[in-house]
Amino acid sequence: MLRLLRNMLAGFRARSEPPRALETDEALQTGFKLRYLLFKRILNANDKVLNMMAEMETALQGSRPFGMSFTRSRCALISANVFQIIQHLNSLAPGGNYKGLYARFDDIQQQLGRMLDTRPKTSEGQLVLRLDQIDKTQVDAAGGKMATLGEISRKLRLSTPPGFVITAAAYRLFMAHNRLQEEIERRLQAYDTGDPDQAQQLRSGIQQLVIRSPLPDALAVELGRAVEMLQASNGNRLHLAVRSSAVNEDTREASFAGQYRSLLNVSPKHLQQAYKEVVASKYTETAMSYRFHRGLRDEDVVMCVGCLKMVDAVCGGVVYTRNPLNPAEDTLLIHSVWGLPRLVVDGRSGADRFVVSRKEPLVILSREIVQKPLKYRCLEEEGICRYAVEDRESLQASLSDAQALDLGRLALELETYSGEPQDIEWAIDGEGRVQILQCRCLQMFPQPGRDPEAAEAGASDHPVLLQGGVAASPGAAAGAVHLLKKEVDKLRFKAGGVMVIRQALPGYAPLLDRAAAVIAEHGSLSSHLANVAREYGVPALFGVSGALAKLTPGQVVTVDAMGRRVYEGAVAHLFRSVRPPIRLMAGTPVHETLKSVSAHILPLNLRDPDAVDFRPGSCRTFHDIIRFCHESAVREMFQFGRENEFPQRASKQLLVDVPLKWWVLNLDDGFREEVEGRHVKLDNIVSIPMQALWDGITMAPWQGPPPIDGKGFLSVMFEATRNTALLPGMQSRYTERNYFMIAKNYCSLTTRFGFHFASVESCVSERVPENYILFRFKGGAADDLRRHRRVALIGDVLGEHDFDVSVADDVLRARFEDYPMEVMQHRLKILGYLIMHTRQLDMVMANDAMVNHYRNKLKTAIAGLSRRECQERP
Amino acid sequence: MTHELNILLVDDEAEFIQRLAERLSLRGFKTQVAYEGPGAIELVRRGAFHAVVLDVMMPGMDGLQTLNAVKKIDSDVEVILLTGHTSLEAALEGIQAGAFDYLVKPVDVDELAFRLQDACEKRRLQIKQATNSDR
Repeated sequence: MLRLLRNMLAGFRARSEPPRALETDEALQTGFKLRYLLFKRILNANDKVLNMMAEMETALQGSRPFGMSFTRSRCALISANVFQIIQHLNSLAPGGNYKGLYARFDDIQQQLGRMLDTRPKTSEGQLVLRLDQIDKTQVDAAGGKMATLGEISRKLRLSTPPGFVITAAAYRLFMAHNRLQEEIERRLQAYDTGDPDQAQQLRSGIQQLVIRSPLPDALAVELGRAVEMLQASNGNRLHLAVRSSAVNEDTREASFAGQYRSLLNVSPKHLQQAYKEVVASKYTETAMSYRFHRGLRDEDVVMCVGCLKMVDAVCGGVVYTRNPLNPAEDTLLIHSVWGLPRLVVDGRSGADRFVVSRKEPLVILSREIVQKPLKYRCLEEEGICRYAVEDRESLQASLSDAQALDLGRLALELETYSGEPQDIEWAIDGEGRVQILQCRCLQMFPQPGRDPEAAEAGASDHPVLLQGGVAASPGAAAGAVHLLKKEVDKLRFKAGGVMVIRQALPGYAPLLDRAAAVIAEHGSLSSHLANVAREYGVPALFGVSGALAKLTPGQVVTVDAMGRRVYEGAVAHLFRSVRPPIRLMAGTPVHETLKSVSAHILPLNLRDPDAVDFRPGSCRTFHDIIRFCHESAVREMFQFGRENEFPQRASKQLLVDVPLKWWVLNLDDGFREEVEGRHVKLDNIVSIPMQALWDGITMAPWQGPPPIDGKGFLSVMFEATRNTALLPGMQSRYTERNYFMIAKNYCSLTTRFGFHFASVESCVSERVPENYILFRFKGGAADDLRRHRRVALIGDVLGEHDFDVSVADDVLRARFEDYPMEVMQHRLKILGYLIMHTRQLDMVMANDAMVNHYRNKLKTAIAGLSRRECQERP
Repeated sequence: MTHELNILLVDDEAEFIQRLAERLSLRGFKTQVAYEGPGAIELVRRGAFHAVVLDVMMPGMDGLQTLNAVKKIDSDVEVILLTGHTSLEAALEGIQAGAFDYLVKPVDVDELAFRLQDACEKRRLQIKQATNSDR
């Protein structure tokens, strides 16, 4: 290898030295070919990096969800390609002072490595903490839910069940045991396709893996000890409620409502199994899709698990200390059912609803008692069971007015203490005591005022299909009805559809990112599904009886959640009040990580190749490096061809009958036969992209500069005096002429007509994925406005032909890629035509009417070009 | 262009690599397969290959170790790595260790064929250049 390098060095001795006499033409020819091959590899890698950087830019906008694996994979591949580019440039020009790029690369690469290594480093701390040992400061050890519960039981005189938490340290110990975490990461990273079957396999595989993994001995011992202590003070018949208390849960405006499993009435002897099941629920569809859409990394969720003495509730439910859809209302909202409160959060059945004023003395403003045919109660041995409730009891209020007012006062006390509206899960035990089971901040979704009459009037053409229920999530949206009755119906759900379900179960949450709206026959504002729908900004109307029977699959309906109506057809005017799409990713850990790595990848600081600091040491990002390398590679190729004493490969002037001078440099196989003299004929050129460009350039004779109005001419004069870069003599390098660098499948054209600079680079061959056209256009002598008009005009025309166009200032960049040869050729013709015919257009860009005139002229000509194309083909 | 190019394909997923070998043969390459690193190294020692296609994730001796061993035996042989989504970091490591290029699984056969053509062309030119200047 070394020997090879040395030979290459000898072959491409620094430019100042004359080639060695013993080198034959053949050796030089080989040298050319090798260089061109390296050059092509640089272009290819450059293209890949640019594409991946564009993906990162799109992801940065934050409106579409992505995971950590996106950021990791793009970083890994960009690094690999940038390194290749540096390597190839150094082989292409061993004497070219490009070694410094390696150091810049290493620096950036190291910084990226640090940012992407987000795993927690330590697993210190106690494995188990008693509830009465913790408060809000221990969120990181105990998780949000349990820390809050500990806090309120210690600082407020509220009753909470006794218990303990299996801490973050315990979780890390468990995950490190037998390298469980590593194995999970390996499986997660291996999955990168959208295939739902594969995703399902992945999830269940990981869950089983967790459940089957043995607990580390230290943890098993601690759990046993904690249970014994709890039994000592609460009797041996104690059972447990085992529920998640994840770190980062209930933060960053992410509710995690109903994400993880809670196991109720667990016998202490099965605690280990229950613990693992709750931990495994980190990998359910609901939880994973939620993390994905909210930009949370796998490692952001540390599963602490709370173990509380099970309360066999007579009744239970949820209090919201404000109405989340209408905070100004100044009311508390209580939902209550018979038995355990789970029925409310599951959205499985109706619940009694009390609206209580928040002002002392508290008053019940309204009370809605519904039929509650079911209740959950604890079983003797273990677990819970759904019981049918007798008719009489099912119609009775599950909560007395006095209890409701009591609850209201407790809830307000809690709100005052935490300073924010609260979402509180409560239960009343057999002795009539209120127990707080859970509490967290309640997110508010205030709605702009709306005029119900106007809303109805505007919809008068549309029959009302359903009416009533409660707005569970605000907004209005239309879509085709999907009736979801069975599990398999979930798989058939199509994006943009209106989800119609019997019960507002948390299991439907993964569909919310695709649903236009939700209608449920049962379920309340306090259910998990309602919570998530509000977060995702999906309108939801719950408690609409008969919805499944009255709606037909495929029928288009409009759901107006706040108006509590479902209309037939799409009621356009209702959408006006719809919120803009939520930028779910902004501010999330995944997005933040992407942002910080992007800062070392995306920004381009080396903009001007003629500037003094256009050198390796000035490269601050990967973008700088590839920009520098690309420019340097082109320059090397150009200078090597020009300066080498190898007449066949010196640049040749093109022998053509057009007024401008064109020069051609053959990099490899761009000529049919070698040329000794100083001129090359057009028919000797076999470069596919150059031929196409040339066809466009010569398609119609140039009619000379367009007529200039007085102002246009003045502005050219003014610009010329102001901008010295435009003056003759100040021009740089090879821009004084129009230069083609070609090979059979490659062409780069640099042109400068007076003040206008344009460059085209293109690869066209049978290798479709390697085909691309890069077009850059810059400058112009007239004032800014005229220049911008022209750039906009060119961008317009190119955009219509599927170029990916970006304009910054008066610099236009356009890319077109991955199409078969004929399509590439057609686009090159368009570019050739545009380069010739727009070169001084900015002088006539006096007003929009002129712009339109020229736009039409250009379009007609280009359409003619396409037509001619078709006629020419057999 | 693919005429007489000898390619060695190495991957522990036997079915996958056999199918890949067949499809490359259809495109004019001469192929042999190995299912693990040591076997591949033995073949490289015995036969002259223009290029080796190496899976990064293999039990026992992994792709990067195999790459280093292959390069020690024959520094002219070009290596193309196949990486999965779990082993993308290996792409950079491999290239730093002298691999010609990498491809991410699932592999597009045409793309692999292009890469192999380029790799073999580079090898041919480098050897030619070396002999020229030795003359």
